[in-house]
This record gives sequence, C-alpha cells and structure tokens, in this order.
Amino acid sequence: MAQCGDGSGDGGTTRRGTLALILMGAGLVLSYGLLAAQGFLFLLPRRLRPEVRWLFAGRLDHYREGAVRKFTGLDGTEILIKRSPGGIEAFSSVCPHLGCRVHWVPSRKEFFCPCHNAVFDGDGVAVSGPPADAGQRLARVPLRVDDASNVVYVGVRDTGKG
Amino acid sequence: MSLTFKRYVIAGLSFLFLGALLLVAWQESRRHRVDQGHEPVVTAANQACVTCHKVDSPAMVMQWEQSRHARFGVGCVDCHRAVEGDIDGWMHEGTLVSALVTPRDCARCHVREEEQFARSHHARAGEILASLDNVLAEKAAGMPGNIADAVNGCWQCHGSIIRFKRDADGAVLRTGKENKPVIDPDTWPNSGMGRLNPDGSKGSCHACHSRHSFQAKLARAPENCGKCHMGPDHPQIEIYNESKHGIAFYANRANMALDKEGDWVLGRDYAAAPTCATCHVSSHMTPQGVRTGNKHDVGERISWTLRPVISTKLNRVVFKDGYQEDYPDTRALPEIGATVDTVEKVVRNERLVNRTVPRQVARIVTWEQRRENMKQVCRNCHNDTYIDNFYRQFDQLVVLYNEKFARPAQRIMNELKADGVLRANAPFEHDVQWDFWELWHHEGRRARHGASMMGPDYTHWHGMYEVSKHFYLKFLPHVIKAAATKGPEMKDKYTRRVQELLARPENVWLKGLSAEEAEALRKAYEERYDQ
Amino acid sequence: MSKPPGAGRLQAMFPFDWELLRHAGAEPIPNHLKKWWFCLGGTVLYLFIVQVVTGIALTFYYVPSAEEAYASVAAITREVRFGWFIRSLHKWAANLMIIAVMLHMLRVFVTGAYRHPRQLNWCVGFLLLLVTLGFGFTGYSLVFEQLSFWGATVATNLAEAVPLAGPWMAHFLRGGAEVGGATLTRFYILHIGVLPTVAFALLALHILLIRLQGVTELEPPDEEDTAGKRHFPFWPDHATTEILIGVLLMYLLTILALVFPAGLGPAADPTQTPDHIKPEWFFYFSFRLLKLTSLRVSVALTVAMGAIAFFWPFIEEWCRRRWRVPDGVPVTLGTLAFLVFLVLTVWESFAD
Repeated sequence: MAQCGDGSGDGGTTRRGTLALILMGAGLVLSYGLLAAQGFLFLLPRRLRPEVRWLFAGRLDHYREGAVRKFTGLDGTEILIKRSPGGIEAFSSVCPHLGCRVHWVPSRKEFFCPCHNAVFDGDGVAVSGPPADAGQRLARVPLRVDDASNVVYVGVRDTGKG
Repeated sequence: MSLTFKRYVIAGLSFLFLGALLLVAWQESRRHRVDQGHEPVVTAANQACVTCHKVDSPAMVMQWEQSRHARFGVGCVDCHRAVEGDIDGWMHEGTLVSALVTPRDCARCHVREEEQFARSHHARAGEILASLDNVLAEKAAGMPGNIADAVNGCWQCHGSIIRFKRDADGAVLRTGKENKPVIDPDTWPNSGMGRLNPDGSKGSCHACHSRHSFQAKLARAPENCGKCHMGPDHPQIEIYNESKHGIAFYANRANMALDKEGDWVLGRDYAAAPTCATCHVSSHMTPQGVRTGNKHDVGERISWTLRPVISTKLNRVVFKDGYQEDYPDTRALPEIGATVDTVEKVVRNERLVNRTVPRQVARIVTWEQRRENMKQVCRNCHNDTYIDNFYRQFDQLVVLYNEKFARPAQRIMNELKADGVLRANAPFEHDVQWDFWELWHHEGRRARHGASMMGPDYTHWHGMYEVSKHFYLKFLPHVIKAAATKGPEMKDKYTRRVQELLARPENVWLKGLSAEEAEALRKAYEERYDQ
Repeated sequence: MSKPPGAGRLQAMFPFDWELLRHAGAEPIPNHLKKWWFCLGGTVLYLFIVQVVTGIALTFYYVPSAEEAYASVAAITREVRFGWFIRSLHKWAANLMIIAVMLHMLRVFVTGAYRHPRQLNWCVGFLLLLVTLGFGFTGYSLVFEQLSFWGATVATNLAEAVPLAGPWMAHFLRGGAEVGGATLTRFYILHIGVLPTVAFALLALHILLIRLQGVTELEPPDEEDTAGKRHFPFWPDHATTEILIGVLLMYLLTILALVFPAGLGPAADPTQTPDHIKPEWFFYFSFRLLKLTSLRVSVALTVAMGAIAFFWPFIEEWCRRRWRVPDGVPVTLGTLAFLVFLVLTVWESFAD
C-alpha cells in the first residue's frame, strides 16, 4: 500500500519545494478554472435558435396609408400592421384586458375589442372600455423596414413549431 | 512520499485533468444536433418485419429507420397493410399485406395531401396512355408482342395500369406457399406519377418522395422533378439549370433548408433561390404572413398552358365534390351552380375508360387569379414592375409562337385532313405529320417553356430558331409533297397556299431583306468577325 | 491562519477565534492515515461535494413532471452546452461515491474502528450509507426512462412487502397507488431537499464525532508520542493528500464521463414493461435475493441484515460479554457478509 505523506515538512522552504508549489498552484487554478468556466457555460440559457425571428411581411409600398393589414405569426396569432403618415407599426391583436382578438374598424379609425367594447386609438392606446380604465394599450410587435429594399420585417417569437 | 513530491504529483494530475477537460470541450464543440432525437420507434406490429428484413434487405430497413416516419413509430404494416378482398393482398407471415403502396394507403394519415394530389394534374398523368404519345411508343418504336419502349419509357413517368396475371377464367394467378398474387411485370415496378392502382386510386406518392426513406427534401429539390420534366419535349430541368434561379440554387444548396421539418417557407426558412416546388406548390411569405402552399396540386399557379399546339390561358372550374377541370380561355365557362357533364377517365377491368359524371360547378378560378397566385411567390424577391414586365416578355413570346407558326400550321394541317390528303387513322404516314408533331410538341414547347422560366438558350436556339427553320424548310415543303401524293391538282392548290403564306408580312423577309437591313447585317458581320 | 495584524475592528465585527482554526488545522494525524486505505472517508466527502455542485447545476434545467422530466433530461444531455458532461459527472460521482462508502465501511469494520467508544459513529455512518443509497435510487428514478421508471415501480412494490409500515411507506413514496407524476415530485424533493439536509446533518455529526474522539490509534497509546514520530499535522500534509485525492478523482470522473457518458434509454411508458428490467447495480443484491426467494423472505432478509449491520458494535459487545469470542471472528463474519453481497451483485449483473 502506497504511502501518501511523511510529514517531513520540507515543503515550500527549498527551491525545489517552491517550484513544486508553483506548478501545483498553476495546475489546480487552470484545471478547476476551466471546469468552472464549463459549468458557467452550462448554466447560461441555451439559445439553439434565435428567440425572435424576423419574418418577411411584404414591401412597404404594399401598405396603404391609414389601412391595417393582418399578419399571421408562427404560432398562429394575428399581428395588425398599420401604416400611418408617421410610419408603420405593428400591434398584437390580443386585447390586454382578457385576451380577446381586437380588430381594426376602418370607418372609425380605431381598434375594437368586441368582448367588452374596448376601443383603442390608432396608436393602440385604450380610449374606452376596461383597458382604458386600467391605462392599458395594445402590445407593440417589433417591426423594421429595410432601407435599401423597402421590405417590411415583423419580429415574431419563434415557437419552434414552424 | 515527501510533501514536495506530493505537490509534483498534484501538479501532474491537475494537468492531466486539464487535458481531459480540453477533450470534453472538444467533444462538446463537435457535437452536432442533426442526428439527435432521431431514434427509430419500432412498434410491436413491425418488430417481426424488421427482424427478418434487416437480414434480407438491410439498406431498405435502414432507410426507413432514418426516416421521419420511423421517428413517429409509423412502420412497415402501417403502409403495407392490406384489407380483406384487396386484389394485391396476401397473407405474409400472419399479416395481410400488399407490396403496392398507393395514395389511398398514404391517405390513412395524409388526408389533405392525398385530396390535393388526387385533384391535381399530376394524378391524371396516366390518362395520356391512350394518346398519340403512346402510339409512337407502342407502334413507331414498338412491335407486336413487345411494348418495352412504352413500359420502360412512357409508363415510368406517366404511370402504368397495374395489372395481374390471370388464368383462362380471369382469376388472378397466385404463387408460392403464401399464395402471393402474380403482378404483370410490365406494369410493376412503376414509380410513374399517374399510376393507375387496383384500388382505384391514381398516382404514386413514391414518384416524388421515394419509398422507405420518404423525404419531403426530395420533392423540394429540382432533380426530383427532372426525372420526367426534361428532354426534347419539355426540358424544364435543363431550362431551370440554365436560369438565374437554378444557378442560385446550386450555388446555395446548403442554405436552402431542404431538411426543414414541417412547412418549408420561402422568405422564412430560405431565401437563396426558388426550386420547382417553391414556385408551383410550396408555402411562402406574403404581406399577410405565411401563405401555406397547396402543396400537392401543381397547377394552381399556372396561367398559360404551354403543352398543346396552340397555347391558351387556363381557367379552372372547380366542382362541388372537389373535382376540377382546366378550361382553355377559348371555351365558354359554365355558370356557378350549373350542372355540367364531366368526362372522367377511370380504370375498369384493368382498362382505361371514359365515364361521364354530371357535376355541379362550385367556383371558377380565372387565369388572372392563377397568375396572381404565382406573382405572390415572385413578390418575395421581386417588385411589381419587375414581375409585370417579366410576364409581358413571356406572354409576347407565347403570342409570337402561336400567331406566326402554330396557328398557320394547324390551319394547313386541318385543310390537308379535310382534303383527304392526311388520314385520321394514319397519324404518322407523311413527312409533314412528323414535322408538325416536332414543331409543336418538341421545338415549340421548348421555346415556350424556355421563356416561362427564363432559359434564354432554350427559348431561342433550342426553341424558336428550330421552330422557324423547320417551319420554312421542312414543314411547308412537306405540305406540298404530301398534297402531291393526291395528284397535281392538289399539289397546285397547296403550292399556292404556301406561297400566299410566305407573302405575308412576317414571312417576306425570306425572299429578301430590305436594302437597309441587308446593309446592317453585312456591316455587323464585318465589325464582329472582321470578315 | 494567525490573527491578521491590526485587525481589532475586524475582530470585533467577526469575533472568531482564529487560534481555534490554527489549532484545528494542526490536529495531529496518526501516521497510518498516510495510507490510501485510510483516506476513503475523505474521498466520500469530496464526491459528495461534487454531487452537490453538479446536482445544483442540473436543477437549473430539470423539470420534475411526468410530461417533461424525460424531455428535460434529454435536453440536458443533447442540447445544453456541456449538459452531457455535467450529467455524466453527476452519474459517475454517484457510482464512485457508493463504492467509496462501501469500501470506507469495510475498512472501518476490518480495522475494528467501530468499537467502543465509537459505536455511535458507526451507526451514523450506516445511516449515511442508507442516505447515499436513497440518493442513488431517487436520482436514477428522476431520469424517468423506461428502466428507471420500472425500477422505481419494482422498488416501491418491494417496500410494500416490509411488515407493518410497508404498504403505507410505498403509498407515501409513490404519492399514490402507482408510480407517476406525483412520484416524481416526491422523489425530486427527497433527492434535492430532504436527503441533502439529512446528509449534511449526519455528515456534520460524523465529522464532529471523529474530531472529538480523534482518529483511532492503531497502536496502543500507552507511551507518550514524545518525538512526534507517530503523528503528522493535518495542515499542510494531510490537506495536500486530500487535494491530491480530489484532483485524482476529478481526472477519473472526467475520463469516465468522456469514455462512458451517461446515456438515455427510451422514455417511460407505463403501459409497456420492458423485457429485462433491472435496478441500479447497488440494488442488484436485493434484486437477486428477490429472484432466489419470495418477496416477503427477501424483504425480511434485507431488513434483518440492515438491522444487524446497524447495531453490530452493540451486538458484538453483547456477545463478548457472554462468550469468549476469538479475535478473528468479527472480521471473518464481516468479510463473509461482504462476499455474499458481492456474489449476489455479480450474479445478478450476469443474469438476464
């Protein structure tokens, strides 16, 4: 059976001892350090696919000013894209009150939720009904227009089911 | 062991540990995720099949094991199962099976795909089996008792009528200890698109998806369509290969997400190039979100028919039961709700026969709507001006072919028939009949297909150049030659007829260009070739 | 280790007697502890720490529900960066820990270190063995693959055969009549909450008792150790040995994880029992016993053997008071018991 120490206490006093101490320290710090780094990478949330996918939503000139078009996201939820003189915006069609589907009423230029008669103005801000009392608004959906090609992209959550 | 020595040992061990951790990191980096979660699920029902067939035909079983079907536990008997009374079924190791998997079998799960396919033009590919194409294979190229040209040629794309060997009483012959029915070897194996199956279904899913590996990937790639859409009479794959679309595809194949599971959407999953499937059937993005393609009905985005002698725009009449029929724009459209007699080709007693079925019109899709369907795909990459101008270029070529060559030639052919020069029962008796056939069926189609898919060489040198050369130098002289066989009077009549035609403004150039044109041509040769 | 200079304020804020630590660090260790054979307790402690760290890391991703357990383990193994490595480390450290615990017990038994006044620490140690086995059993079941699912089913059915408390215990463990989602949450909280707490408490008691009583002196302490020849200081000598063991273990674990990474069988299917079901190897002896005898007999035997092992120091004393027991008998008995365990385990591992 091997011996695992003799207690002669010579460690660290001679040059040989110092070298051993340094080598040991370096080896321990490097190896356990790498292990810790790998452990840290393990804990980082995994991103196998980007959480937001930018989907082609037509060219800007397909959108008429003042009109709203529907866009279907990957999970089947509808997104309302509205072009106004100020620019182009996308809203979630989910009412912040109880999750009903809002729609655009062109004649009154407002979003309307039939469940509790909630009304949102052209910017998605609630003006009457329960969401207005709670100071809510329609959630914005990220949207960008590529300057070079004039192509509209909508940022939707990737459910991984597409 | 002294303390110092122990420390050396620790140092040594810790570097070994470090090395092992580096191996771990390397292992992590080369781990790829494609092959994960792909373990085949062999259900109890399929275990027996797999056990034997893994020995008999291991690659076939492996193809299945690597398929998406296997991952969801869909195996041998799920597709090969037969029901009592199926003519192609037999008891195999205790299970009633059939070697033949038809669209009806696939439709047990893929209901929508089968519906779309069944009403598509592809499903009717077998209906040409009684047409002129087939006469050439069975008569011109065949001989009594040997129709091998049709079997190996026509039928492998268009599909065969699956037949069985029968005894004198008409009962199906059976063989072996399991009484396996004997299939007519001329009719199977067959992976033709429009195969006519004993269960009454039309088509073969295997034509695009290939038996046991069964991949969507195959149908997405252009090579798959190229098995049949190629050659002198419809060189779509060659045209695609020479087009900007094909070039972009082959350069970027790796970025095409051909392996994508689920819907494969242009503008979402890939953007590098369109394949045949992209434009004709697949899903794509629109300003309103994903437009899911009608993935198994190939005609819905086609506005011209480029196949017949004279091209026409195609409207589509859809009936209440889902049956649909293409109406050339020259044919009057029925009212919606009206009942129309449709003529359907069905197999009765292993022969293709016509059946008249009255059907009620549900809706009409005009050629303009079909073209709009196609334009929606185009808009993923091109703007409206670009698309409209492309269609203008394409339309003009079809019109040119129609008006300058197809119509005059067709008219003359009709006159020759009316005058008794050509006989209805002898379609390939005279030179002129072969010339006319190739004029529209080969060269004319090449030109039209070339223009439809941006293949410049096929439009001109393989197309319109050949059309015009053979029109002037073969077709027209052979009209006179054929007429001469009916006597000098007839010869004179058609000589005058040809001269009248050549005197028309589009043909006078043959007898001499104008002075300016001739000079321009001379100068061009001089400058270009210094000759 | 000594008091830092000018640390009066610090000392006031953290009134800890640093001398105490120095004193504890200078604890003289008998020379026989330089032999590997005597370092197994430290090995277990080291592996326990590895288990705590990797185990906490794994809980970041594991979902204890019937629907998602298997998928989350699959995700750890296949998708999470270094997930397969962390999971393999956890699996291999668990196996090594059980082996180390057994070897540690064997060493203590053979050297007679359980005898008066250390009977209590033997009992604490035995409880730690049970806790370790409990960790192994609950942890394996959490994977929720076919084998672990059916392993849990068989084991809880075994528990049901324990006289009196059995049915209630099985019902309690499963959270119902059958192994399922409720079992998973129970096993999960046992594995990451109850058992670790118990283990920490028992470990603290175990180590406290060692320090209070001192390590067993193999030679009779009749003469004074004047020259310090028979002892060496804990710091830095023994500590270095422990570091060495630690690195060696980490190296071993990493190589094992690389060569034999933790796999994943088919997902649990309550409707289909696999042809060959087996528990983890440390329950093979019990499983073999079950095959050799009846359910009741095997459970009774296991419980009886456990009880004898637990009370062994007292049983031996009681016997010695009555009869003249030759010195070699307890060692022979212990070795025999261990051999029986080994034979049953090996037998089962070669059986279908």
